[in-house]
Amino acid sequence: MLNELVIKNLSKSFPVNGEKVSVLENINLSIKDGEFVVIVGHSGCGKSTLLKIIAGLETQEEGICNLNGKAITRPGFDRGMIFQEHRLFPWLTIGKNIQVGLGNHSKGEKEKITNQYLDMVKLSDFKHAYPSQLSGGMSQRAAIARALAPRPEILLLDEPFGALDALTKVELQEEILKIRTQEKSTMIMVTHDIDEAVFLADRVVVMSSRPGKIKDIISIELDTVRNRGNSDFAWYKSKIYHYFFESREKTPEFII
Amino acid sequence: MKNKIENILLMMMLPVIVFIAWHYVTTTGKVPTLILPTIKSVWETILFQLTKGTLLKDLGISLMRIVKGYSLALFFGIALGVLMGMSERVNKFFILTCTSVRQIPMMAWVPLLVMWFGIGEESKVSVIFLASYFPILVNTISGISSTDSKLLEVGRMYQLNKWEMFTKIYLPSAIPSIFVGLKLGLGTAWMAVVGAEMIAASSGIGFRINDARSLMQYPIVFCGMAGIAVTGVLMDGLLSIITKACTPWQNRK
Repeated sequence: MLNELVIKNLSKSFPVNGEKVSVLENINLSIKDGEFVVIVGHSGCGKSTLLKIIAGLETQEEGICNLNGKAITRPGFDRGMIFQEHRLFPWLTIGKNIQVGLGNHSKGEKEKITNQYLDMVKLSDFKHAYPSQLSGGMSQRAAIARALAPRPEILLLDEPFGALDALTKVELQEEILKIRTQEKSTMIMVTHDIDEAVFLADRVVVMSSRPGKIKDIISIELDTVRNRGNSDFAWYKSKIYHYFFESREKTPEFII
Repeated sequence: MKNKIENILLMMMLPVIVFIAWHYVTTTGKVPTLILPTIKSVWETILFQLTKGTLLKDLGISLMRIVKGYSLALFFGIALGVLMGMSERVNKFFILTCTSVRQIPMMAWVPLLVMWFGIGEESKVSVIFLASYFPILVNTISGISSTDSKLLEVGRMYQLNKWEMFTKIYLPSAIPSIFVGLKLGLGTAWMAVVGAEMIAASSGIGFRINDARSLMQYPIVFCGMAGIAVTGVLMDGLLSIITKACTPWQNRK
């Protein structure tokens, strides 16, 4: 039971023009310590909302969301989050940005941790640069360093590579795997990129949209270092693709 | 470097044209010197006033008033602006009053303020305060309330308390906008003090201009106006330098 995230019968809805629109319905999911879970779904299927509930930025209406046996009610240093945009503070240098989440540490410790994580994301030369001086990929790396610096047990990634170009994306995907083996933290990622999901995940959670429900959970039984050209890799990809496109085949216009 | 020289030349072009035209119409007698004094007589007056110290003394008196009124406006404008920007309720409480008072032109305040405070320092300082308060207030509110909610979410994620949220996110995010307000406020304050001194005062650069006008000493009027323009440009430049120093993250690519 140690360091386990348990989500049970969780539901959430938002008011839209005075009407209640259900975003998440009856979500059940447990995630073990050190696991890499990727949630895949269409945009607007509530996957980001689910991540925000785990982060403690939103609260569920029904059901439970427990971390290590305790209900999540607010953000905490045991969880770090990386967003689609880098969300670095433009007025702080990269070094200072990384220190935002290190409030309780002494000055010397702050410096040490900052340097350590700057080194990990290969940005040591940019400690005193401002975010506007960095490229998109570098900014996202800095955001990863900021999220890792308080040493969270769980790293939440909300479409973190969605705004990056294809090459930078692959590069960062590989880097996140390296970070995972170093930090041994649990990773929960939300994406709509199936290739990314199969490349990174231990388990892929497939979600349907409106209301967001879990359609299936697929364990990816491939080597830790994955080869995108592998036939098994392609098999998993087509399997997940199938979840999104089978329903379309059933709509009448396709039957005619 | 070449670009810099080009820019300076470009900036100087229009003033030079104006001076040449001025020189031409006054020396050829196309405009009587009683209406528009020659550059030479204005320049001589400026030099005379500078050596005698009257010009600097007049400007100094007006500037002192600016320092007092503007500092008050800066403090209270930013303070209320921050509160109104961060809290919807405080905003609702003040907004109608502020917007109504803001509509009243500065000069319309002068009779009332003279009645309350006489023609001494207090009335000038309060005119400056009123003139610079609203630009500072309005821009502070808009700066604070347009803080990116995505960055605020990051602040919540790192459990920043209210004060940290303010100093680390709201304030730096609003600073460029606050400085726009400070710049506008300084401009209106300078205009207001000269205006108020012309209507009711016994010292200051506005008083000097009005005094010279009634004595038909037009070169002195021009000299005063030139003094106002130069001081205004210098203050504006100084504020630009301070702005740059306070926002090192901007204009860095």
